[in-house]
Amino acid sequence: MSNNPNSQPSSVLRTDTFDCVRCGLTVTTHAPDGGRRHHCPSCLHSRHVTDRVAGGPSDCRARMNPIAIAVLRTGDWTVVHRCTRCRELAAGPVSGDDNQLVLMRMAVRPLAQPPFPLEAFGDI
Amino acid sequence: MPRRTHDRRTRDAAGRGRGGGRRQRPKDVRHRPGGERGDAFRCVGCRLDVPLTAPGTAHRNHCPHCLAGRHVDRSTPGDRESRCRGRMTALGLSVHENGEWQLIHSCEVCGTLKPNRIAGDDNALALIRLALRPLADPRLRDRALLAL
Repeated sequence: MSNNPNSQPSSVLRTDTFDCVRCGLTVTTHAPDGGRRHHCPSCLHSRHVTDRVAGGPSDCRARMNPIAIAVLRTGDWTVVHRCTRCRELAAGPVSGDDNQLVLMRMAVRPLAQPPFPLEAFGDI
Repeated sequence: MPRRTHDRRTRDAAGRGRGGGRRQRPKDVRHRPGGERGDAFRCVGCRLDVPLTAPGTAHRNHCPHCLAGRHVDRSTPGDRESRCRGRMTALGLSVHENGEWQLIHSCEVCGTLKPNRIAGDDNALALIRLALRPLADPRLRDRALLAL
């Protein structure tokens, strides 16, 4: 197995699948653009399998909710997940076949619930 | 007054005084180069002098002007157990279940992500710029068409 995400995986790994923890959809491990998936493309939920603080695999294995969209310096979108059990945060890149409606709903959610009136920004 | 001079002399001789008496007054000096004052800190991003008291929250954990912070806490707010001390920049914005905004800070040194509540005196323009950053993507039209 090659660790480089840009190289094409072998034919066995290309057909490898996992089941989504939330919606139960059977998903291929590799996205169509060749990268490895971090979340379900339908509901964008994920499973806590890697420990970002200590490194290596995590014992938590709980469901991770998508909470935010972040934009990298390159302009690519990133989904920020939070574990429902241990509250750890993790970020993963968006793949090409992710559910665009769910992504867009997360991107505009802060503007739907602003903590201050947005009318004043119309003049700027 | 002779009694007072006598007191001072005994305190100097003992080094720190005898205990009791008046309490030590708060210091407003830097204890080492780049050290922190007692009631304010200097932002790592824009060098603004920020007071520690913040409206709406008990923990000031980012600069109200540029929204940058320093990686000092590990698990609970205020524990100061992280040894990283790197700069944390605001990566994105999420909405908590109760409807208030949360900043997602990412450490530029170790890559840790942390959610932080916004404070009452945070720069509204910086917050709006952060909230609008995903929507300013020029590839957004393709995404919107894909969703139909």
